[in-house]
Amino acid sequence: MMNTLTISCLILPFISGFIIFLLPRLDRYLSVITAICSGLYSLFVLVTRTQINLKLIDTFGVTLSVDEQSGYFMLTNALITLAVICYCWSTDKSAFFYGQLMILHASINACFVSTDFINLYVALEVSGIAAALLIAYPRSDRSIWIALRYLFVSNVCMLLYLIGAVLAYKSALTFSFSSINTAPPEALALIFMGLLTKGGLFLSGLWLPLTHAESEVAVSALLSGIVVKAGLFPLLRCGLLLEQINPVIRFFGVGTAVFGVCYAIFAQDTKRLLAFSTISQLGFILSAPQVGGFYALTHGLVKSCLFILAGALPSRSFGELARQPISHQLWSAILLAGFSISGFPLLSGFGAKVLTMKNLLPWQNWVMNLVAVGTAIAFAKFVFLPHHSVPQKLPLGFWVAVGILLGGLLVANVAYLEAYNLENMLKAIAIVFAGWSIYYLIFSQFSLNLPRKLESFEHLMGMMILVAIVLFWVAVNDYGF
Amino acid sequence: MLEFLVLTTVFCGFLGILWQNNLINKVIAMDAMSSGVVAYFVLMAARRGVFVPIANDTSTRAYADPVPQAIILTAIVIGFSIQALMLVCVMKLAKDHPTLECTEIESAQK
Repeated sequence: MMNTLTISCLILPFISGFIIFLLPRLDRYLSVITAICSGLYSLFVLVTRTQINLKLIDTFGVTLSVDEQSGYFMLTNALITLAVICYCWSTDKSAFFYGQLMILHASINACFVSTDFINLYVALEVSGIAAALLIAYPRSDRSIWIALRYLFVSNVCMLLYLIGAVLAYKSALTFSFSSINTAPPEALALIFMGLLTKGGLFLSGLWLPLTHAESEVAVSALLSGIVVKAGLFPLLRCGLLLEQINPVIRFFGVGTAVFGVCYAIFAQDTKRLLAFSTISQLGFILSAPQVGGFYALTHGLVKSCLFILAGALPSRSFGELARQPISHQLWSAILLAGFSISGFPLLSGFGAKVLTMKNLLPWQNWVMNLVAVGTAIAFAKFVFLPHHSVPQKLPLGFWVAVGILLGGLLVANVAYLEAYNLENMLKAIAIVFAGWSIYYLIFSQFSLNLPRKLESFEHLMGMMILVAIVLFWVAVNDYGF
Repeated sequence: MLEFLVLTTVFCGFLGILWQNNLINKVIAMDAMSSGVVAYFVLMAARRGVFVPIANDTSTRAYADPVPQAIILTAIVIGFSIQALMLVCVMKLAKDHPTLECTEIESAQK
């Protein structure tokens, strides 16, 4: 019974995607229903703590596995898709947009249940194609170039990943995740490089800021909220399956978090700040793999919410925004989201941060506390935006989307209520106020433009190989593997 | 030897993506790279033998491994569709950037 339910929930978005192409009039209704269905399914998995292992056909068949972690990721996917549909409801998006949205939703869910490298490859490639089509939806030169660049990066890293997968197969005669146990170092390097690049992590994730910042608001929210997590989830799963990989994953998590937050502090553009903060938050998820699911849920919700809110601001540059006050309502929503991402007690960003901090190793602890202060510094730019009481007219769909995401954050508190004790709350408040004061005293006084040279096409390709070489070196010298 | 040649193909394809400035050339270089990967899978499948695996009573022949072969079919289809999508993107870009030079397009979008 449970197996049939799982398979039908995984297939449903694909089917509704294809039906939308055949019956374009049903687009929004079908996609809302589908998103609600997958949301209910993932809630069911989370509440009942079900663990399902599916094996289709025989030994070489596809294996799927649903557990608590995948439940969190699927819930994130469902809520963000629902919010994006509400946000786009009153716009004139065509059925093509909703169809691709459904296929993206389905392929990302498939990533969250797959347990072998080939299944994962197919799901990642489908999500890459659907995401590229959504990025190119406005059909402007700029969007087409961004989509092409995204396709290039994701396809090249997936080709190298395939070589890694077949090398792992050679030694273990299976494509399942457990084959990395016996895989040679070059296979590990290629597979992890592919996943790190696809997930926008570490230096190989430098494609992410431009892609996420230049896409349309709804698409940025999707990309930052959930699409990058498709590359991140298999890393978490491998880190949990194999003890030897765990320290390496943690190390890359810390590296990613530091790298992202350094760029985010100096960003002068709202959407670039959010994109760099995505990189640093992904690092948080990786740095404590066993509790990554909850952090991924809170980060996905808050980041999509912030992208949608930033889309309503009159300008993208913080310099301009300092001269144009925004309405109180918009500012309060931004403040709430900023509280959650900085880990202020109220929304579930706080619980997620406490839980992650508790599961860090001692050497990670002080670095991640510094990164938390850095996040507060970066988001102080949003908090200190001038605001006035003149209301700004915003469509209903916008507020429904923001309501779903912020409401989701509030309700998600129930997953870890133990976080609310005096010590944790004082620590979180201290971190946030330290960040804001440092911003007010130091960073608001000057602005620094970090060079964008590394984000050019050739450097993205080169960076992938450099990361692969570093990984190879780590694997050969047996540091943790 | 064969393995070396196949991996050289992949490497040359990658260098093409890096060094060619023209977008069409880049897409073709990526195609070369993916052909190399496909060839590598076929080579890996033929490690123990090259015969078609069909179950019969006298199963003593050196059979090829059918799993990588079956899997790479999927990758070929995916690679082909991505290739097609990229070429459409390049076609659209060619209207405003007739030289299709990557550096020129990149600086125009800044």
